[in-house]
Amino acid sequence: MIDPFQTLGVEARFDLDPDDLARRHRDLSRALHPDRYAGAPAAERRLSLSRAIEVNDAFRVLKDPIRRAEALLRRAGVPVGETAEPKPSPDLLMEMMERREELGDARRRKDLAAVHALADAIRLREREVLASMGRQFAASDPDTTKLAAVLPELGELRYLRRFLDEASAIEEELSS
Amino acid sequence: MAYSEKVIEHYENPRNVGTLDKNDEHVGTGLVGAPACGDVMRLQIKVSDSGVIEDAKFKTFGCGSAIASSSLATEWLKGKTIDEAEQIKNSMIAEELHLPPVKIHCSVLAEDAIKSAIADFRSKQAAKKALSGQ
Repeated sequence: MIDPFQTLGVEARFDLDPDDLARRHRDLSRALHPDRYAGAPAAERRLSLSRAIEVNDAFRVLKDPIRRAEALLRRAGVPVGETAEPKPSPDLLMEMMERREELGDARRRKDLAAVHALADAIRLREREVLASMGRQFAASDPDTTKLAAVLPELGELRYLRRFLDEASAIEEELSS
Repeated sequence: MAYSEKVIEHYENPRNVGTLDKNDEHVGTGLVGAPACGDVMRLQIKVSDSGVIEDAKFKTFGCGSAIASSSLATEWLKGKTIDEAEQIKNSMIAEELHLPPVKIHCSVLAEDAIKSAIADFRSKQAAKKALSGQ
């Protein structure tokens, strides 16, 4: 897999500045725009096009904190994915099960305010987890041996994301 | 991704969705999750005094394959003894549902859930025995 940090020419860190990242993407996209290569030889046109696709893919990965964390871990040789990660803690599972059931109940009651409130609480948690992950990634630079310790929080982040995706689908459904 | 007909059938008509009283001494509860996809699965069994699973319920927040795997698991569990239930393997679930390789982990999750429900039931029974022995 291509290193998205390298592709966009940004420092490999978790707490990237989103504006800086967007600027970098815009500049590269502009430089690689097909219009600039209209008169260029076919090989060069193909190359610039595939570079432009790489740049877009890398931007999508780095914009998303979950995929950005996965990319950082892969870079450091920490395996991520289905079988590689530690099992979620029973407390987290219990909590996510309860919150998801509450969300389902709120949906059945068509209680939009309750859905908002549940989502707000999880968004707050998400911010805390992101901040903590940022600290952990920073602390493990350059000593990447500590990086595996980020995995439980990465797992938690995915649970929170799932919850928020579900909540926004319900918010949309109930407000239409 | 294309789901098999059997997955879609279970997804649209999940069997045995619900909750059993987790404090009931006849009930074993398994709560498992897949961190890579953010799935959470609860599977519960109610075991009679003769050791037969008389009821099974599940609740899964996850993809269609995870829902189908746990739905099928509860179907299979009912009427089985605990020992028979322990023989259920993820490969049997995956085969029955025609799960593609990228979704095999959903059947693994269901097997984990069965095992953990049985373990919970057994630890309750052991605690009960220990208590009555005193």
